[in-house]
Amino acid sequence: MNNLSQRNQAERRFKTYGFLAVLVAITFLFVLLFNIFSTGISAFKASYIGVNINLPAQSERSDINPRKEFKRQVYEMFPQVKTRSDKRNLMSLFSKGAIYEFEELLENSNKEDINGYHWFLAHADVDMYIKGTVERQGNEAGRINPSRMQYVDVLVEQNLIKLQANQYLLHSADSREPELAGIKGAIIGSFYAILIAFIVSFPLGVLSALYMEKIALKNKFSNTIETNINNLAAVPSIVFGLLGLAIFLNFFSLPRSAPLVGGLTLAVMTLPTIVIAARSAIKSVPPSIEEASIGLGASRIQTLLNFTLPLAMPGIMTGTIIGIARALGETAPLLMIGMVAFVVDVPGTPLDPSTALPVQIFLWADSPERAFVERTSAAIMVLLIFLVLLNLLAIYLRNKLEKKW
Amino acid sequence: MTEKLKISIKNLNVFYANKQALYDINLNIMEREVTSLIGPSGCGKSTLLKCLNRMNDLIDICSINGQIMIDGTNINDSDQDPVLLRSKVGMVFQKPNPFPKSIYDNVAYGPKLHGIAQSKDELDSIVIKSLSRAGLYEEVKNRLFEPGTGLSGGQQQRLCIARALAVGPEIILMDEPCSALDPIATAKIEELIEELKTKYTIVIVTHSMQQAARVSDRTAYMHMGELIESGFTKNIFSNPQHQKTQDYITGRIG
Repeated sequence: MNNLSQRNQAERRFKTYGFLAVLVAITFLFVLLFNIFSTGISAFKASYIGVNINLPAQSERSDINPRKEFKRQVYEMFPQVKTRSDKRNLMSLFSKGAIYEFEELLENSNKEDINGYHWFLAHADVDMYIKGTVERQGNEAGRINPSRMQYVDVLVEQNLIKLQANQYLLHSADSREPELAGIKGAIIGSFYAILIAFIVSFPLGVLSALYMEKIALKNKFSNTIETNINNLAAVPSIVFGLLGLAIFLNFFSLPRSAPLVGGLTLAVMTLPTIVIAARSAIKSVPPSIEEASIGLGASRIQTLLNFTLPLAMPGIMTGTIIGIARALGETAPLLMIGMVAFVVDVPGTPLDPSTALPVQIFLWADSPERAFVERTSAAIMVLLIFLVLLNLLAIYLRNKLEKKW
Repeated sequence: MTEKLKISIKNLNVFYANKQALYDINLNIMEREVTSLIGPSGCGKSTLLKCLNRMNDLIDICSINGQIMIDGTNINDSDQDPVLLRSKVGMVFQKPNPFPKSIYDNVAYGPKLHGIAQSKDELDSIVIKSLSRAGLYEEVKNRLFEPGTGLSGGQQQRLCIARALAVGPEIILMDEPCSALDPIATAKIEELIEELKTKYTIVIVTHSMQQAARVSDRTAYMHMGELIESGFTKNIFSNPQHQKTQDYITGRIG
């Protein structure tokens, strides 16, 4: 009896330890997520400055130099601005992108007259001040010196600076100007890379798993291969990057920085994961089903295609998606094959130079510009969302395929 | 009873790698009779049964020498196709193993595989005929398109028999078909075997001597990979010639 109460106590203690362990893990996760979300959420908004534009309809628009015209419109709002340096300070509140926005406005206006306030992207320095990322000390805030601050104060007073949805973050590629930088290029690059990784590694992985599990003779040679595949799954990913560099870039002379090469490298990296998952899925198909099929006169291949593969498919898909999700979050191998380049264009094809989401995060995290901090977190948020979506897809596919029977 | 030789096994030796599983088996199996193979566990009954439709081909380390003649052809000849052989020699396994498909598809799989049915109607009629022969049609006719795995154990085993019948075999091998079933389901299967032997040659492996006595015309007793004794069931059980057979059927070994 004495023994029993001790055992019960031990059980309770063990339960508590387990619960505490889970609690600590969840706390870490929440702290991390909270940190990222609280920093990153502000990047989805950007500061815009209102400028009163007055362009009569009769003007011949093709004669207009947008740069000069935009400046003229801005100066008209501040009649006191006369000197060159004052003008430069005033214009420095706007992003370089404001000129393009103005150009776009001109094009879209269709030669009708433009009147009233239009909103143009502010410089990242202003944006950070408006969002409170940098503290105001006296007459300056971060890189906004007093001679710039006087205009900011006027604009704020007149309600001419407001936070709007950031048009650039999700719709443009990287840029030197933080306020113009976006992750579209990285998203498309990542998409191409994991698409290629999937197309290459899925059939290769499933076929090798089928062959090793069901067709190959079990001997020393196959045992060696099996052991090595298990070892490959544990090889650090940067080694696969070196492999990709040596084979795809140096030997096959494929274009540097291209998602094609990134995808192929990630495919090589994902292959062992898929092979291992597929093998265990194939192994767990009940042999009685295969015997029944063979017993009815089906050939080995017919049995494999009709029963083994469909029954193993949920497991194979789950393993594959987990492998692909890992590939999506992988940075190191992509650094080796040059996907770390600064690319300002959204890639049109998998052969165009591009970067990938995790590499973009790495690049931004590495950038000295303080305005990139919130964008780094925003990019991490987007990456996490994609990872969660992939995992949901894995769960959905598994349930759907299994529900068939 | 017309006595026509269906299967003749001569000097059959089977090896798993270096281990010999069957020693010099000689056995004749008659057409449209039930022959049961009995003996203690590990005596090679199932191995012998699997040799008859070359299921042992699937095991890499298994090698066979000797002769198995079915209708006068050696089934292990290099020009014999195991796929054709298996359509002629159907098999029912120890554990009911319906495919994870509908009842209809379970039965239709074999005919589809061998291209037996020319049309959908013909396939339908094969499925219905096979299910009726297996005594299952009345029970499942309203749910042909529900999963076969949803049936009870006994029904599943009859579904497996129907599946084997659908290919149009001449011989049916049964590897302890009732070992996973309750007495009522067993009785139904035994009844079915009784009916089926009017059309098919049946070889059944069983652990139950009562079952062997009930359903089979002839019995072969095996021990440690050797065929000790074979003959009419009533003779084997009432008047065994060999000491080992007597020990086994009286319950002293096995």
